[in-house]
Amino acid sequence: MSAAHQATETASDPAPRSASQEVRRGLRASLPVLFGVIPFALVLGAQAAQKGLSSVEMPLMAGLNFAGGSEFTAIRLWTSPPHLLLIAAMSFLVNSRHLLMGAALAPFLRDVPRRKALAALFFMCDESWALTLADARRRMLNRISMSYYLGVSAGLYLCWVTFTTLGVVLAPVIGDMERYGFDMAFTAVFLVLLRGMWRGVRASRPWLASLVVAALTYRLVPDGAWYVAAGALAGLVCAAFTAPKRGAAHD
Amino acid sequence: MINGATLATIVLMASGTYLTRILGYLALRNRSLSPRTLYILESVPGCVLISVIAPAFVSDRPADLIALAITVAAACRFSILPTVLIGIVATGMLRYLFGA
Repeated sequence: MSAAHQATETASDPAPRSASQEVRRGLRASLPVLFGVIPFALVLGAQAAQKGLSSVEMPLMAGLNFAGGSEFTAIRLWTSPPHLLLIAAMSFLVNSRHLLMGAALAPFLRDVPRRKALAALFFMCDESWALTLADARRRMLNRISMSYYLGVSAGLYLCWVTFTTLGVVLAPVIGDMERYGFDMAFTAVFLVLLRGMWRGVRASRPWLASLVVAALTYRLVPDGAWYVAAGALAGLVCAAFTAPKRGAAHD
Repeated sequence: MINGATLATIVLMASGTYLTRILGYLALRNRSLSPRTLYILESVPGCVLISVIAPAFVSDRPADLIALAITVAAACRFSILPTVLIGIVATGMLRYLFGA
């Protein structure tokens, strides 16, 4: 990286920090999210144990796939032996939102070499992506803080692999954690992130389109995998229709 | 401890998931995007997030809907950690009260 490049980067950053400070800041940011991740991971592990997955196979899935929604889907569809193509196709569908997320992240990764970006994207999940983009916006930067992102990802990844495995081991004693309200943690985190992205009523019309279409799809389509893709697409279409013809991106 | 068919399924599933993570980036890197496209992309994060939590808005349990309203109100005022705690406590208590 050239000295000039470094200088502009520092100039555009309101609060320059060292890489290790950024990693720690990311780790701290991941902590509240773990409240939601841990019960979710324990429940997944317990369900996987019921389907016959071992305490080696579960961390293998959690560590290589690292996408909770698709793992719940896979475990629900799991048989012995598993329907390989069905499970792969359904998890691709559940994770299709990543296509849009990666596209939205692309302009923020301009400075990052391709190989490094491809490695970092392995860890992209709803939470790491949303926290990192929200962080870049809050600091008015047109790039993400890679160290912050890796800090968030490290917290989430270690927690996910550890607690899904614990879920397999503790399957007999894990009751219905949902009863205690832990499932609201995800919704709470996402609501706060949404507030941070709020740019006025006009700019939020695509959100409303997403909410309505995703909710209707969830209620009306029996297969649980479609609603995120349908909602995200509806929002995208709405944004395309309501985008200003030229000029300002914000109201 | 590791079954062959299980291993194959996990590897194939994980490969598909990794593709979803990189394809959007690969398609848009090194493209100069028009302000209009950027505007559309800027609305993507909110649209994805709200779609993921949409089922909570159409829950058929009254306790969950009230808890959601409380969590939305909390999210408007507080940062992530207090909002998460308020959301969990409100949901747990209301489910207990409603006997759900």
